[in-house]
Amino acid sequence: MKLKIVFFLIYSVAFSQVKLPVAPTTPQIPNYSTQNYYNSNNRNTTPTSTTSYIDAKQAQQYQLIMQEVEQNEKQRAEILSQLQKDIREMDSKSDGINYNLPSFSNIKGTKYYRNVYDKMLTLNIESYSVKDLNFDIENAFLENSQDKTEFDKIIKNSGDFILAKMKELKYDTQSNVAKNYMLFQFFSENLNLKANGLKHTPFKYDFEDYTGQKDWTKMFVSKLLKTKTGQCHSMPLLYLILAEQIQAEAYLSFSPNHSFIKFKDENGKWYNIELTNGMFTAPSFMVNSGYIKAEALQNHIYLQNLSKQQLLSEFYVDLANGYIHKFGYDAFVEKVADKALVLYPNNINAQMIKSNFAANRFEFVAQQLGINPRDNKQLQKIKNYPKAVALLQESNLQSKKVEQLGYTEMPQKAYENWLNSLSEAKRKQENEILNSQFKGTFIKTIKN
Amino acid sequence: MKKSTAILLLILFSKFCANAQNQDRLFEQSYTLLNNMLINENSYSFKKAVFSVENAYLEGKLDTININRQIHFLTSLSNSLIKDRFLAYLEKDKPTVNKWASVYQIMCDTIPINYDDKLYKYSPFGYDFNDVFGHKTRENLFVSKLLETHKGNCHSLPYLYKILCEELGTTANLALAPNHIYIKHNSIKDGWYNTELTSGIFPIDAWIMASGYVHLDAVSNGVYMKALNNRESIALVLIDLADNYNAKFPNNDGTFVLKCCETAITAYPNFAEALILRAETHLKQIEKEQDKTKHDLKFKELEKEYAHIHEIGYRNMPENMYLDWLISLKTERNKYENKALHTMSKH
Repeated sequence: MKLKIVFFLIYSVAFSQVKLPVAPTTPQIPNYSTQNYYNSNNRNTTPTSTTSYIDAKQAQQYQLIMQEVEQNEKQRAEILSQLQKDIREMDSKSDGINYNLPSFSNIKGTKYYRNVYDKMLTLNIESYSVKDLNFDIENAFLENSQDKTEFDKIIKNSGDFILAKMKELKYDTQSNVAKNYMLFQFFSENLNLKANGLKHTPFKYDFEDYTGQKDWTKMFVSKLLKTKTGQCHSMPLLYLILAEQIQAEAYLSFSPNHSFIKFKDENGKWYNIELTNGMFTAPSFMVNSGYIKAEALQNHIYLQNLSKQQLLSEFYVDLANGYIHKFGYDAFVEKVADKALVLYPNNINAQMIKSNFAANRFEFVAQQLGINPRDNKQLQKIKNYPKAVALLQESNLQSKKVEQLGYTEMPQKAYENWLNSLSEAKRKQENEILNSQFKGTFIKTIKN
Repeated sequence: MKKSTAILLLILFSKFCANAQNQDRLFEQSYTLLNNMLINENSYSFKKAVFSVENAYLEGKLDTININRQIHFLTSLSNSLIKDRFLAYLEKDKPTVNKWASVYQIMCDTIPINYDDKLYKYSPFGYDFNDVFGHKTRENLFVSKLLETHKGNCHSLPYLYKILCEELGTTANLALAPNHIYIKHNSIKDGWYNTELTSGIFPIDAWIMASGYVHLDAVSNGVYMKALNNRESIALVLIDLADNYNAKFPNNDGTFVLKCCETAITAYPNFAEALILRAETHLKQIEKEQDKTKHDLKFKELEKEYAHIHEIGYRNMPENMYLDWLISLKTERNKYENKALHTMSKH
């Protein structure tokens, strides 16, 4: 993912002497329609027992009160909707500018995204299914055209295969370390089961359009399963799904433009698995990309193992990114990114979505004002529009936040070179060492 | 005859005591000065802090007049550079960046000076490969020695750089790497970037992380590579003071050293060097402990201290690896140089 930013810094130079007005805050209008002050089913139930006069009287009173409440509610809702209408009118009367990005909610496909979002809100943060959630997110992009039963079957068969192979190799099927090693083999080696002759070939890296710019589904687990080729988004996700299937413990972790798998052995030593090349890697490999700043590590945005809650945050990011790719930026994107940040405040990918959202919104407003935000001279004219100035400030602030977290953009070429450096002799050697070290730890546990 | 010898000896002895006491007093004074800088931030001055420590070690013989004259000269030279030079930098923090760039030039560049229609050559500060850890004499680490000889190391060079920046009315953040100190700045255009004075190169963070002795936990815990604020910089100077004290009084009982350590750790909790010096001093004290139960109890505590140091990510870098690593910046310049900063680099 890339940060799309350009114009603000130039602006801030020329404009620094002008005292900018404080952003006017739009009043938050609470939404009462979803709140139930009483249970509508109870309202119409007459008391079944007539033995007590008092009960009946109480019920009657209750009903009266409820009616009153209902009426008040109606009135309140009316006043509110009138108020909202007035504010909208006032806005358009004052300058005729729309300060919000137009919503895509009238486009049919967005419905699938809203549904998944609503569903995600109900998930248990500690125990949701990675498999189901990822399926839903991919399926939202594909407008619910995917077959869940079929998908479940593939995952289950793969899980069974892995467990059967473990038994065949006499690995301890209770050991987390052994499970992870088997998963690693599943991704990187040719395997077959002696019992029934089932064959499995490893997954390969797909160099073509690995950022999904032309075809978003290139990032999908379903594509990986179909073609046996994937990239640094789909491969770690499939790993997590299969780990969930065989009840192994493994974590997702970020590095610039990249994600990979981490897991721990019984002694608490962490291992990194690079699925795109099927190798164990040392932390120095990550650092050698040259695009990890010390501040990024101090703010824990890279190389940390994501907790289940932080992973959920990243799924919100996935949801938002699919939406952005398909439709573009609107209020829904902001809502999803905000939710991601509640779960994981330093989620760099969510911060970047927020930053791009703010930049897009400002650009949209500037265009309405007939201002090209990339032209410094024209940009100076926005001081006549306090609301636009506020939006610009917000956008600047957000991009500053991303930078302060330690993010630096890694050019695509640099990323490719870095990933290719895995085939260097030194890295291969590292892999051999870590691999044997690792195998050693759990072969020992088998013997024990 | 016997009596007079005894008196003479007594006089000599008391003189000696007074002298030792006087030295001790200078260290105490320096400690008080540094501690006050931590309590009252208005009294902070990195220059004063550093020179008070050097003066204590030099038994009050630091030539402050000469030092102030030299620093004054370097500051005016910086100012004239700022005035006369073109800096290709467009952001609004240009005045500040210009100051940094001028100090950098003074540290690392040969500068022609026109004085009375004669052209003089100002030569920069070089790296001294002898005794980079100050084992032979602590003076090799001193800024006063650097000013005198124009040769220094990763201790004196960044200290002088920071002092000059503060003289110009700006700041510079010191940052730590294994056995090493360098400079971090934050500019609008480039965000955080590193200045390496021992070789005059702006290296990327990967250079330090790839040294092989930087555990990633040490980075995320701010043991290394953190842009140190002024309080944390004073913590560094406090440990200099303690190290100098140990060099001067090898058989001290540890009280003064521990006092310095505790104050430094309060100002900078994950400061590995201070944590290590504290543990080592505790170890010395434990070795003298006669009571076995007390000894064992204290030893258990000490184990915890070392475990904590390990936990925050500190790993020991052998001293002979240090120079190899330092040189790697020159031999692998292309790999580790920050390409975004070519406008400031001299080549």
